[in-house]
Amino acid sequence: MGESFDISYVLEYFIKLLPTLKITLLIVAGSIVIGLGVGFIVALPQLYNIPVLKRLSQIYLSFFRGTPILIQLFLFYYGLPEILKAVSLDVSKVPALYFVILTYALHSGAYLAEMIRAAVGAVDRGQVEAAYAVGMTGFQAFTRIVLPQAMAISVPVFANLVIANLKDTSLAFSLGIMELTGKSQTLAVMSRHFVETYISLAIIYFIISYGLEKLFLLLERRLQRHERQLVTEKKAALKQKGRLGWPGIKPGYGGRGAEHEA
Amino acid sequence: MIKLKQIRKSFGRTEVLKGIDLTVNKGQVVAILGPSGSGKTTLLRCINYLEKPGDGQISIGDLTVDCKRHSKKDIHALRQKSAMVFQQYHLFRHKTALENVMEGLVVVKKQPKEEARARSIELLEKVGLGNKLHAYPSELSGGQQQRVGIARALALNPEVILFDEPTSALDPELVGEVLAVIRKIAKEGITMIIVTHEMGFAQDVANHVVFMDGGVIVEEGRPNEIFTSPKEERTKQFLKRITPESVYSI
Repeated sequence: MGESFDISYVLEYFIKLLPTLKITLLIVAGSIVIGLGVGFIVALPQLYNIPVLKRLSQIYLSFFRGTPILIQLFLFYYGLPEILKAVSLDVSKVPALYFVILTYALHSGAYLAEMIRAAVGAVDRGQVEAAYAVGMTGFQAFTRIVLPQAMAISVPVFANLVIANLKDTSLAFSLGIMELTGKSQTLAVMSRHFVETYISLAIIYFIISYGLEKLFLLLERRLQRHERQLVTEKKAALKQKGRLGWPGIKPGYGGRGAEHEA
Repeated sequence: MIKLKQIRKSFGRTEVLKGIDLTVNKGQVVAILGPSGSGKTTLLRCINYLEKPGDGQISIGDLTVDCKRHSKKDIHALRQKSAMVFQQYHLFRHKTALENVMEGLVVVKKQPKEEARARSIELLEKVGLGNKLHAYPSELSGGQQQRVGIARALALNPEVILFDEPTSALDPELVGEVLAVIRKIAKEGITMIIVTHEMGFAQDVANHVVFMDGGVIVEEGRPNEIFTSPKEERTKQFLKRITPESVYSI
């Protein structure tokens, strides 16, 4: 086992880990940006019901959602160079980080595609008809009417995906990437202060996740401001209900408890 | 002038429109009546190609589109000549009342923003919403939303405005305000085709009434003729079942 617990190491390692945060964030940002592009391309054949491409995108989705991210990392890191060798492309000098970003991008892309598909489907069809009736082209209707609303709808799901992606990046250490988890692994092994290291690590992940969560909440409020009336109305209705109480349930009328007393 | 020639439309195997011929003159207000499933809404939606007719010919003004040989460009041009007011309003929910009206002017007609804004404010004032310019659809009542919908249609300055049961989704107490606005613009000589169940309104506002049933036009003519002395048996039946409010008043 490791050394005895010493709280002072938590702060020390916290500071030591911080510089590697940028690698973690680079993986997250890179993979989400690329993933959004991939997700969009994959979602389109599903939205527009394009025969062959639709089938292909479904296969892509099932693969990336149906296999663990760790296996995907290994497959891409060890498998992709082999395949590329067949077409005489040497990628052995490409840093592992690029493979990691690519894998996370494709992994997130699958979930992002589903997010996009659902969000676009959630914008009511009538508004598209109204856009056509106004004289817009399909492209105008999509970019000006559907997309802004779909984006607003998808923010909560997007927030979840980004945070999940952040936590998933901790697996990149298995390919020797010195991001947060990779670094903490080394620190822990060297100093044998395992618990302290992982506490620092957990705190960093938590702070970033929490920050992201709050940030996305702000974004959601901003993008959904056109539905504000609905929200306030709902609140008012709830308040009303609270004041009146639920009909049929009167105070003092116990269920089983009352029977028991009797 | 709008001219429909032998418009046919099928959904799967059911033929919904069985060759409709209709001519609407400039400035005419046409009310289309008929029982549910008679094809009146489908006909209206065919005029701006929200439904694709299987066969026939649509002319609006100087543009004629053959439904068997239409290009994307034709459809786009056709849609620019008409505007539509929907049963469910279908306002753009992420845009304010003003932005809803401006959208078509800025994006489709490529008007400068300031010009479009001035025109839109003017129209919203006309439909009685001068004080709701910056309200989102979610902050408006059904009647107000529908009036924004009418302003949005008017803004495009179309050759014809198509109304698809504009008051059917409204609370009864809100129907009046919307009908009042439609009545007002009807007086200005804008060509309109209205699918409606409001018989009194149709009789009052329209100067031509079309009665449809089973995908064909059964009878058409002046409102007085249709409502007081219909020729066809089917029209008589329909009107008897629907109009006489006296029957219900006790």
